[in-house]
Amino acid sequence: MTAQTRPLPQPSAWSAPFWQAARDRRLVIQRCTSCDEKIMYPRRFCPVCLGEALEFVPAKGTGEIYTLTTQMAGPPSGFEAMLPYVLAVIRLDEGVQMMSNIVGDGALGARIGDRVTVDFATVEGSDTVLPVFRLAGDGQ
Amino acid sequence: MKKTTAAVVGIGEVPTGKYPDRSELDAALTACRAAILDAGLGPRDIDVILPTGALASRHFNVDLVFSRLCEELGMNRSLKMNCQVMAGGATSSSILAVAEGLIAAGMARRVLCVHSDAVGSLPKQAGIDLFATTGVSEEWEAPYGHNMNAVGALATQRYMHETGTTEEELAAVCVALRKWAMLNPHAMFRTPLTVEEVMASKMVATPLRAKECNMLADGAAAFVVAAAGDARAISESPVFLRGHGSLVTHYTLSQERDLARLGFPEAARAAYAEAGIGPDAIQLAQIYDAYPVWPLMSLDGLGLCRGTPAGAFVAAGETAPGGSLPMTTNGGMLSQGHTGVGGGIAVLVEAFRQLMGKAGARQVAGLVNAVETASGGTWMDSHVTILSREAA
Ligand SMILES: [Zn+2]
Repeated sequence: MTAQTRPLPQPSAWSAPFWQAARDRRLVIQRCTSCDEKIMYPRRFCPVCLGEALEFVPAKGTGEIYTLTTQMAGPPSGFEAMLPYVLAVIRLDEGVQMMSNIVGDGALGARIGDRVTVDFATVEGSDTVLPVFRLAGDGQ
Repeated sequence: MKKTTAAVVGIGEVPTGKYPDRSELDAALTACRAAILDAGLGPRDIDVILPTGALASRHFNVDLVFSRLCEELGMNRSLKMNCQVMAGGATSSSILAVAEGLIAAGMARRVLCVHSDAVGSLPKQAGIDLFATTGVSEEWEAPYGHNMNAVGALATQRYMHETGTTEEELAAVCVALRKWAMLNPHAMFRTPLTVEEVMASKMVATPLRAKECNMLADGAAAFVVAAAGDARAISESPVFLRGHGSLVTHYTLSQERDLARLGFPEAARAAYAEAGIGPDAIQLAQIYDAYPVWPLMSLDGLGLCRGTPAGAFVAAGETAPGGSLPMTTNGGMLSQGHTGVGGGIAVLVEAFRQLMGKAGARQVAGLVNAVETASGGTWMDSHVTILSREAA
């Protein structure tokens, strides 16, 4: 069996600015200019008022771990070499949630409620940059 | 309380496991034939077939969509409609609700619901990769290495954080299910299992160990739903559909904001109200599992543990054979096997089997009322269905 590479995000027309910002090492979320709803992940229109006038605004890049797991075995194709890796749902300080990886010092000991700060990781062999998170106080 | 409109009058199932030489079509036809004969009906008594989706083979799924079962079962020019109903793991509750609705509206008299799939015969990595894209966003989650075992693990961590449930209590769910599966000739895993063996199995995605992760399997099951007014003339032991409640809470796991509860409290309230049957009158809980956290969360939401946290309730043996609340007596996906969409169908068919008094060595005595739950994808929806030997 040929080794598969890990899946990469295929941006949509409305999510492309998010991925471009990540390449510029900025974390952005959407804001609805009609009702001020904060939105993550990027949507085609506002899920509260259905308004189409959404803008990307900078996120602080800080938040806390809502839940997490360390994948030790049985990963999907393309992730074998990453084991063990930490998968987490982050609740950003803006209130929205996103999935990401916890990386860096202490990642394998991370716990629910730990404060985290965004960082950016280029997926090897691609021009995709993923927002990832480090434990606050990790010396990076 | 709602006036009862529909009842299940026949069931069929083939053994669950790895059957690479048994085609999905063979299994589907065998299960359908058994269900129709169990009801004492003939093929031309069925007016609607609701097949659900098959995941392993697109070719077989196309057969299901395009009326192959109608022709193979001898229903050409008598069947009124063949229409696929697919809601992932929640297909069980969903397809039952659709059948009930068609009957209540007078649009059908006898509905045949069927599942067949062979996800257990996929190569192991193909199975992992298939379920790493069911309800997992390819853009927002898959690039981080998300997968089905991680879905279970992420929910388990949050549930443990909020409830104080221990790893041993999670393992106890697997042990209780195994005790039931040992009495089920259709189950894939029938050898004894202890908490110590679960705890000693390989860590997969913290805190879930290998024996807390379901095994993909091949299987098929079918059942016939009829108008409640006809039910007693058809079957000696019809199972009446008394109430249903449900709530869709998310698509991607990362958007769920109450991962320790999901929509079960709301779904249960609606189902109990519609049925006029409360948690105190429930004698059997057929609870969708896949991973041990989900039965615990479901038991909490359904209010079935008399104020005890679900983990402690299960660890005390209350849901195992001889306990006060028999739970998932087929062994669930953790022991009967996870047939994809059909894992939930098997849980539901076991509820019918028990209420019909056809559960053999694992028959629950004096059974009148049971509850069934289901959820699909990354537990995107919470379904609760109340079933009874008595109509309202
Ligand atoms: Zn809005």
